[in-house]
Amino acid sequence: MIEFRGVAVSVPVLRAGRLAESKTLLAGVDLRLGERRVAVVGANGSGKSTLLRLVNGLVEPTSGSVVVNGLDSVADGRKVRSEVGFIFTDPLSQLLMGTARDDVELSLRGIVPDKAERRRQATELLAARGLDGVADQSVYDLSGGERQLVALTSVLACRPQVVVADEPTTLLDLRNRNLVAEALWGLEQQVLVATHDLELAARADRVLVVDAGRVVADAAADEAVEHYRRMMS
Amino acid sequence: MNGLFSLYAPGDSVFHRLPVGWKYLIMFAATFVGLLLRNPWVSLGVLAAVTLALTACGVGLRHALGLPPAVWLTAGFLLAYQIAVGAWATGVVVACNLVGALYASRILTATTPGPVLVDALVAAARPLRFVGADPERIGLAVMLMARSLPMMWDAFGQVRDAARARGRERNYFALVAPVVVRAVGYAQATGEALMARGLGERRSR
Repeated sequence: MIEFRGVAVSVPVLRAGRLAESKTLLAGVDLRLGERRVAVVGANGSGKSTLLRLVNGLVEPTSGSVVVNGLDSVADGRKVRSEVGFIFTDPLSQLLMGTARDDVELSLRGIVPDKAERRRQATELLAARGLDGVADQSVYDLSGGERQLVALTSVLACRPQVVVADEPTTLLDLRNRNLVAEALWGLEQQVLVATHDLELAARADRVLVVDAGRVVADAAADEAVEHYRRMMS
Repeated sequence: MNGLFSLYAPGDSVFHRLPVGWKYLIMFAATFVGLLLRNPWVSLGVLAAVTLALTACGVGLRHALGLPPAVWLTAGFLLAYQIAVGAWATGVVVACNLVGALYASRILTATTPGPVLVDALVAAARPLRFVGADPERIGLAVMLMARSLPMMWDAFGQVRDAARARGRERNYFALVAPVVVRAVGYAQATGEALMARGLGERRSR
């Protein structure tokens, strides 16, 4: 369960070289997200990413609080991050090691002390996603879809309860987009996805529409996506 | 991307089987012998030895020996300059030491998986626990620093191309600010990626 309790986020802005009034990125967010598949849609700069980043403490609320499975995202930041896996738009900024296997092993460092066991588990996790053929390839030589799947595998290696993905299909072609969408929506964990891809959003159990820092619609997929289409036309 | 350091390539050469500590030792020895003795024949000998050793790693000649063109240009420029000022021996020492050090580091990186390198760094940093340092964080930091070098080089190339597209490729000062901005952005993204996986965070809050 992810709860947003009266959350607002604002940042100071520079005006004429001085810190002036703050800019509100999100305001008045009160949500209880218990559904397994939740999508967040909204225009660029609407506050989607900020909303997602609040969930694992990458962004801290200016007021209010975010609670994930009973843990406060600020006070229990470290525990929350161990429960929430985060997938970025650009997998290259997320993959920290040179090869897929090494990257998954890095995720396992804090969980599996034995080196040989770590390597075995990394190999197994990659094979489960059909990535065994690229395990020792440079992450720079992988396709966009493969990179995103490796990023997902690395995140899942940390054994999160919740997976948050910030526009995971934005940089992908249709085939890779479908691959990543299948992988994400097929997860056992609760999944929260921000996306511009309305086909992806339409498969969620619940969709939030964000506009100018506020949740302006919160409904089942068909209704919320339709609301968003009307809003954008 | 095959940057300054070569990426790990699986294999069963003698260097793949050699314990990582020995490989670190070979890297430091090959680098510092040339630096300390400053003799052109020694530097040439070290370069020949590490080239042969790297070839024996069985990771493919291109993967092993291919360096970014800028490295060859830098080595060539330094050699040519020293010859022009009548110090050919210094030119040979500097150019051979530069390429030799990179090849020596590749013996390590091309034959050792990344996590093993991190483990070795963490083990080496373990005595620093007594002064309050976290060996795990030090190991990660060194690995990330090594990873950032090709990324920064790539950023410089992209900014230079963007400047070239506007006919401003000769204004090197104009390239600095965007490269610095990208470096900061890269550092922030890396920090967020580490944080998102709970890596490198302090144990107690």
